[in-house]
Amino acid sequence: MTDREIEQKLAQALEKTAPKDIQGVLSRCEERKGTVVFMNQKKKSRRLSGLIAACLMVAILGGSGVYYQRANAVASVVSLDVNPSIELKVNRSEKVLVCTPLNEDAKAILADMSNGADLKGAKLDVAVNAIVGSLVRNGYLSSISSAIMISVEDKDTARAEKLQRELTNTVDDVLQTSASKAAVLTQTLTQDAGLTQQARENSISTGKAALVNRVLALNSSLKFDALAELSVEELKDLAEAGAPAMPIGTDKAMDLAAAAFGKVSAAKMAYSAVDPELDESPAHYEVEIKSQSGEEFEYKLDAYTGAILESKREVEDGAETPAVQPSRPEPPAAVQDIGYAKAKSIALNHAGVSESKTYDMDIELDDEDGTLVYEVEFKSGNMEYSYEIDAASGAVLERKYEGADGTDDDTIAPKPEKPDRQPDAPSGQKTDIGNAKAKSIALNHAGVKQDAVYDMEVGLDEEDGILVYEVEFKSGNMEYSYEIDAASGAVLKYESERDD
Amino acid sequence: MLVGMRSKTEYAQGENRRELEQLLSGVAAGDCNALEDLYGRTRTAVYGLALSYLKNPQDAQDMTQDVFVQIWERGEQYRPTGSPMGWILTICRNLCLMQLRNADRRENLNDEEWNAIPDRETGLPQEEKLLLQDTLAVLSEEERRLVLLHAVTGLKHREIAGLLEMPLSTVLSKYHRALKKMRVYLKGDDAL
Repeated sequence: MTDREIEQKLAQALEKTAPKDIQGVLSRCEERKGTVVFMNQKKKSRRLSGLIAACLMVAILGGSGVYYQRANAVASVVSLDVNPSIELKVNRSEKVLVCTPLNEDAKAILADMSNGADLKGAKLDVAVNAIVGSLVRNGYLSSISSAIMISVEDKDTARAEKLQRELTNTVDDVLQTSASKAAVLTQTLTQDAGLTQQARENSISTGKAALVNRVLALNSSLKFDALAELSVEELKDLAEAGAPAMPIGTDKAMDLAAAAFGKVSAAKMAYSAVDPELDESPAHYEVEIKSQSGEEFEYKLDAYTGAILESKREVEDGAETPAVQPSRPEPPAAVQDIGYAKAKSIALNHAGVSESKTYDMDIELDDEDGTLVYEVEFKSGNMEYSYEIDAASGAVLERKYEGADGTDDDTIAPKPEKPDRQPDAPSGQKTDIGNAKAKSIALNHAGVKQDAVYDMEVGLDEEDGILVYEVEFKSGNMEYSYEIDAASGAVLKYESERDD
Repeated sequence: MLVGMRSKTEYAQGENRRELEQLLSGVAAGDCNALEDLYGRTRTAVYGLALSYLKNPQDAQDMTQDVFVQIWERGEQYRPTGSPMGWILTICRNLCLMQLRNADRRENLNDEEWNAIPDRETGLPQEEKLLLQDTLAVLSEEERRLVLLHAVTGLKHREIAGLLEMPLSTVLSKYHRALKKMRVYLKGDDAL
């Protein structure tokens, strides 16, 4: 059996054993969409109970001034904070008396529950269930590092702790059924008018205000109102990191990354996401941007200075893109253009044809999925040549030869392949530039000298039928990794990052 | 160094990303028919990946259902980025990893043996049974996952590397080693 046959047989066998139970799926979908996520919906297999991956206990007990209105039926105040902050006042029998969205994000979360009014009279666990379900649906808890904080304020600490335990279980259950890996932070607070006041002024919950104060206790030069705008995840990590400085925040991180993206790519952003990683060293924000043409960029920005620590770019493997599709060099500052003359000479060189023997030369600058390319077309003898050359790097992205009889010949090159950046490459190598050449192309591209490099590794590998050299090396405190087309010498992909 | 073993993966579900994208936007808009269609096209891939993690058909079937419920709920979050299958499988992987982590706290299930044949399944030809059960059993868990993904998802090695957060070179070498092991097992001789 060939590999292909093995795989096909496997696929057939799996196809037959895979479930065909769309009804089961649909029955669960209709109940859930846009409504409250009920607990214990999920059929429990023996593996599905258990605890949440990360449950951090932040017990802030104490708090001095105790103001407690006994006349009011409110026994406990529960707040849920992610970035949306929601407050629930409950009575002794754990019925919700009032549910208040404390910020704009929270209003969106409660939108399909009449801004919280629907939850009035509900049992606390049902209400929390509904809210967390909505948070999940709105994507607030989808990242592995996101965090939700449950705070229970009650004069009676025993009751507060009991409530907190129950709520933690409730939230765990919802997170589990929704595949969220968010961390759950919990705290119990004794009611404190000062804290409540501070919280009100900044449109956050008292629970979040307590967390902000914890950060302020570590670094008193920070500002309460600026901290109040950070998410629970950021505050938690900031506290754990000792609060060395004020983080730039997700909005600013996104702006800075978008500006950097704008410099390298003419293409428009199709998608972006930002993830704070303040607990890592160095603390940073990770911003992912995808262009409409499918390029992926990843930026890491210093969480405190906003400096770009790392940028990666990857050209996605689109279905119809040619096998050879190199990246353009970064950093963005160097937006180079090799120019018409150079593009022409690269193409002629590659084809092994001298200019005097060509006719019908046509060169155009074109924008191909956000990459500027020179399209060089010419004829020589009875052959027609057509090249696409990266305007920044000079790499040959695509080549095509056509004989007078009209037959395409884009697989068998009439001439030995030469890497474009190495026009003086020794001829005689047919379709493999060789280890040494791959290495020098990578070094050249990285702008690093051979003698400044260590831990160099070069390997020939195959990717969907294309031979590539994988070149990895370190220099200074940077780690470089390249994929180089073994036939053309084009840089297909590269990454550089700080080697910590 | 792996040279000369070509494997074009563009068959079955891999062939039409655009259609999957369209179905996903239907799902995002709340269209049950789109979900049904999507299920029909991708259930085998989802099930295959789930099976590679959970190692028994019952759990993998339950997981497949969970994954599609998730897709329904999170459909609005999908951004057309060219890899709808990758997105679907990422959900599946995350759910599987979480389930394993939760289970791991109480009992060590990682040692569980490979079991790919559902109890009720009777109509499976002997040859397919041999492949799915006995032949895959000779592989390591990771190798099995790579082979299954490659066989049923239409994803390219590079995309599989991205999905599993592994270096491409590792994916390639493990994949090729796995297929070699399978051939050796099937033929009972040195297939290379």
